[in-house]
Amino acid sequence: MSVEEIYNGIYNITIDDRSMLATRNLIPGLSVYGERLITEDDVEYRQWDPNRSKLGAMALKNFEIPLEYDSTVLYLGAASGTTVSHVSDILRDGIVYAVEFSPRTMRDLIQLCDQRPNIVPILADANKPQSYAHIVDKVDAIFQDVAQPNQAEMAAVNSKYFLEEAGQLMLSIKSRSIDTVASPKKIFKEEVRKLESGFDVEFEVLQRKELDPFHEDHLGLIAKMFVDDGE
Amino acid sequence: MEFTAWFGKLNINEEGEVEDCQAFEKDPEKLAEVLVSLQETSRDEAVNAPDLRQVALDFGFVELDKDYDIMLRDVCIRAAKMQISKSDTDDTRIIQAVEAMDDIDRNVNELSERLMVWYGRYFPELPLKGESLANFVAQYGSRESLPEDHKFFEKAANSMGSDISFADEELLRHLASNICSLYDTRSHIEAYIVTNMGSVAPNLSNIAGAPLGARLISMAGSLEKLAAFPSSTIQVIGASRALFKHLRDRAPSPKHGIIFNNIIIKNAPWWQRGKLARAFAAKISLAARMDCYSGELDPSIKENLDKKLEMIRKANPSAPKKEKKGGKSGKGGRSGRSGKPGGSNKKDGNRRSNNKKKGGKQ
Repeated sequence: MSVEEIYNGIYNITIDDRSMLATRNLIPGLSVYGERLITEDDVEYRQWDPNRSKLGAMALKNFEIPLEYDSTVLYLGAASGTTVSHVSDILRDGIVYAVEFSPRTMRDLIQLCDQRPNIVPILADANKPQSYAHIVDKVDAIFQDVAQPNQAEMAAVNSKYFLEEAGQLMLSIKSRSIDTVASPKKIFKEEVRKLESGFDVEFEVLQRKELDPFHEDHLGLIAKMFVDDGE
Repeated sequence: MEFTAWFGKLNINEEGEVEDCQAFEKDPEKLAEVLVSLQETSRDEAVNAPDLRQVALDFGFVELDKDYDIMLRDVCIRAAKMQISKSDTDDTRIIQAVEAMDDIDRNVNELSERLMVWYGRYFPELPLKGESLANFVAQYGSRESLPEDHKFFEKAANSMGSDISFADEELLRHLASNICSLYDTRSHIEAYIVTNMGSVAPNLSNIAGAPLGARLISMAGSLEKLAAFPSSTIQVIGASRALFKHLRDRAPSPKHGIIFNNIIIKNAPWWQRGKLARAFAAKISLAARMDCYSGELDPSIKENLDKKLEMIRKANPSAPKKEKKGGKSGKGGRSGRSGKPGGSNKKDGNRRSNNKKKGGKQ
């Protein structure tokens, strides 16, 4: 068995020629959603299933994940916290603000927050960053995984409010929630164009790749923000 | 400029510096309440928030960086818990009831079918099914225990069915009594929906009937969402397959979705259905808006609907002539079929109850 750190806090563990993605368990002994726990040299890791996590898929697709152990992250579309738990593993000394809109899934997320000291749950609509502007500070990175038609706009508005100047946006775009019929390639192109020049903040897309075979019709994207001062 | 952060009110001067901070009381429960109200009252205008953490440290709300995180997390968890318990409103209860009813329908149909096939081995001549069969089996068990004055006594005496063992009889009676209690629960839920719809959505119940109204709320997600739908959407809720087929493949558009379950449309001849559905959906959306934003019963919606429906019926008394080469009428027929909501089993119960209630009112 070998453990290799591929990005900060993200590991590739090889057991018997089979490799898997993992993060170092912040709360040893606890498995969050039934994932496998692996111990090597007295360190416990949690297996990270890329099929259940866009960010996990992005890590496996060689995206440069811009997270460090003390980053602060705004996580939009936290759902029940599968991926959030891994982000919380990565940011051992950081903080993740987990925004989720549905009270039903927030119930699960709160259970997770009770266990982990670095997750701040926010029940709010990510379309309205004003409604959590009195809670969230500038963050080092934003990760967004929401199934909404205005995904790009949402990312832009939140970046404008909360992203540090040097911060990066990690975005998963689901073509099906923009248009069920049109071809995903076309939609991705349009969304990237919107990010690059469609809003009052502009982005430079650093990396983009589709997330298949882990997630069909999803585009993963990492971008840097330029702020337009109106000059 | 004034800005309210989760820990206090800040006064910000024109250079964007924080001049003053009136901190709130450092009680997590109270701070959580403040947080919830701040979220609810947040305005749409853009705000340039200062570095909250720094301000909290500068003005001595917390002493250490770490304390800020601990406090914020504690307050946010409390606030989220408050919001979650608040989110359980009357219409979410109705949605749960409707969905529970669907679950029961699905299961009870499956179990009834099983009971019919299984019990049929012992008494194939019995012409009962569904609830009456379950009642029969739960009451008598073996066909040999039928009393002589029972109407199926003759049939039982001459049955070609095989003999039933004691163990099998016990098992089947047990299964049957469980099915009976499921039917019982179902009627309880139905009654619950009717009474609650009267208070949650009086207009919607008045126009569409409580079961259909509840189902519409459930499919929309909430009364507020239903009120926000245009009536053309309400017209085809529940016909999403036909609608997407229409959008994608140029199939004819569906004329009605779940609202087909109301007798206004179901009992209408096919050439009136599309027109009636349109008028009906328009009044449903009106009623949903009344319920969502005023909550008072307004009988005039129903009166206007009845007038409108009567006008449509009078204006279209007979079927339009069929065009040659399978023109419009064929098309209408097809879309009508595809427009019906799927899941044949659950429809049955609804339709029956709908008929009864609407029949009584009209």
